[in-house]
Amino acid sequence: MLSIIKKAAFRQFKKFETKHHELNYLFWECTTRCNLNCLHCGSDCSKDSSHPDMPLEDFLSALDTVKQPSVGNVIVVLTGGEPLLRNDLEMCGREIRKREKRWGMVTNGQLYDRDKHIALLNAGMGALTISLDGNKTTHSWMRNSTTNFEKVDNAIALAASYSRLNFDVVTCVHQKNIDELPQIRDYLIQKKVKAWRLFTIIPIGRSTQHPELFLTDSQFVGLMDFIVHTRQNPEIDIMFSCEGYVGKYEAKVRDSYYFCRAGINIGSILIDGSISACPNIDRSFVQGNIYQDNLMEVWENKFHVFRNRKWTKTGKCAHCSDFKDCQGNGFHNWHGEKKHPLVCHKEKIS
Amino acid sequence: MKKNRLRKFLGGLSFATLLFAFQACYGTPQDDGLDIYLYGKIVSKTNGEPVQGINVFVSNLDYYGTLPCAVSDEDGNFSFFTVLNDHIAVRFEDINPLEYGHFLQKDTVLTNIYTTKILLNIELEEVDALDHKKGGVSAI
Repeated sequence: MLSIIKKAAFRQFKKFETKHHELNYLFWECTTRCNLNCLHCGSDCSKDSSHPDMPLEDFLSALDTVKQPSVGNVIVVLTGGEPLLRNDLEMCGREIRKREKRWGMVTNGQLYDRDKHIALLNAGMGALTISLDGNKTTHSWMRNSTTNFEKVDNAIALAASYSRLNFDVVTCVHQKNIDELPQIRDYLIQKKVKAWRLFTIIPIGRSTQHPELFLTDSQFVGLMDFIVHTRQNPEIDIMFSCEGYVGKYEAKVRDSYYFCRAGINIGSILIDGSISACPNIDRSFVQGNIYQDNLMEVWENKFHVFRNRKWTKTGKCAHCSDFKDCQGNGFHNWHGEKKHPLVCHKEKIS
Repeated sequence: MKKNRLRKFLGGLSFATLLFAFQACYGTPQDDGLDIYLYGKIVSKTNGEPVQGINVFVSNLDYYGTLPCAVSDEDGNFSFFTVLNDHIAVRFEDINPLEYGHFLQKDTVLTNIYTTKILLNIELEEVDALDHKKGGVSAI
């Protein structure tokens, strides 16, 4: 009975959030240069990106149009490519904070040494995510580099040592590291990491060339069970990412029910100025461009495709009994012809 | 106001209060932490001129080790964010007296902090090189 009430209230909550769609989480794809060449990269980034980094002032002009939300802060999340390849990162952070916004960064940790750590904290960085994809051998394989594990290990230790920083580690789970999860968990606990988020990999970008990156259905169930089990351990806050709806595991593998907020609370400014939701969403969903449009006007007046997802009730979603709660799964699952989501997590556990 | 009450009610009813602090799939957690912005200008007590190159440390946090939180620029300005604590000890130190003149170290402790932004305008006493080596300390 209680779960029915909770679910019903949550559906109303989602409707409410969608109707009011406050922008309070803004990705900035500040560079597409990268110092690694990861097998699973959804961005297809490279060392020699064809796009120049977006000048800070161009981003700030767009950011200046963003209103303060009614609850909490706006957070700008710098992503890439590898944000640490920009040499003006501290300046970017300071300018964002001057505008009463918060900021964080997603990094592979390769360039995150002590000097950089302190400099970024001094520039007001408040949130950080570092990727770790297995033990030394597996991480190196996934990251296509034999020298990077020590660097990411050092970066994790630095980040975990500073209590002010809202920090988590993310792990992309695949066939080669699924059996290492207990080992990674113990390593993170020993490093005093408080939060750990697990993803699976969807077939976009470079990952499509590596079938071993995709979990089988039984491995996916194993992943869900591992998360449920580890959530009983108070030493680390583990959760499944918000990448998709997981049916009977909902509210057991995360703090609450599934809600894809792309285009509802989450926006992005991509490397070429395009305005969208999460950066891994198909670029055909771009809603405008900061070089021609006012970001906030686009946010307020467009984004219908994100806020009314009835169009996803097609293909395998057309007759799904969970559509009300799932609404076509994570928005980044809709690519190409958009006839089906690329991945149906619920199907994997059925 | 009404809108926020309804939002909180629905969120609370579904035990989804944490949803106000959601994070995107491939993004970072939210930053709901408390910090404080310290900023100001360092001038010479002798002539009121801005002093460049002064290292600013938060000295009650071992965390920073020997790294400064900021170094004053050519206009004497400095600024940085640090952890909001019940007291913050700030040290202004001339670590390279041969470069922009020789100034005495100054220490100050901020207490009863009720804001997230504090202006610190600092005057440093200029001394000759010999006095500097003796390591004089003045406090405000």
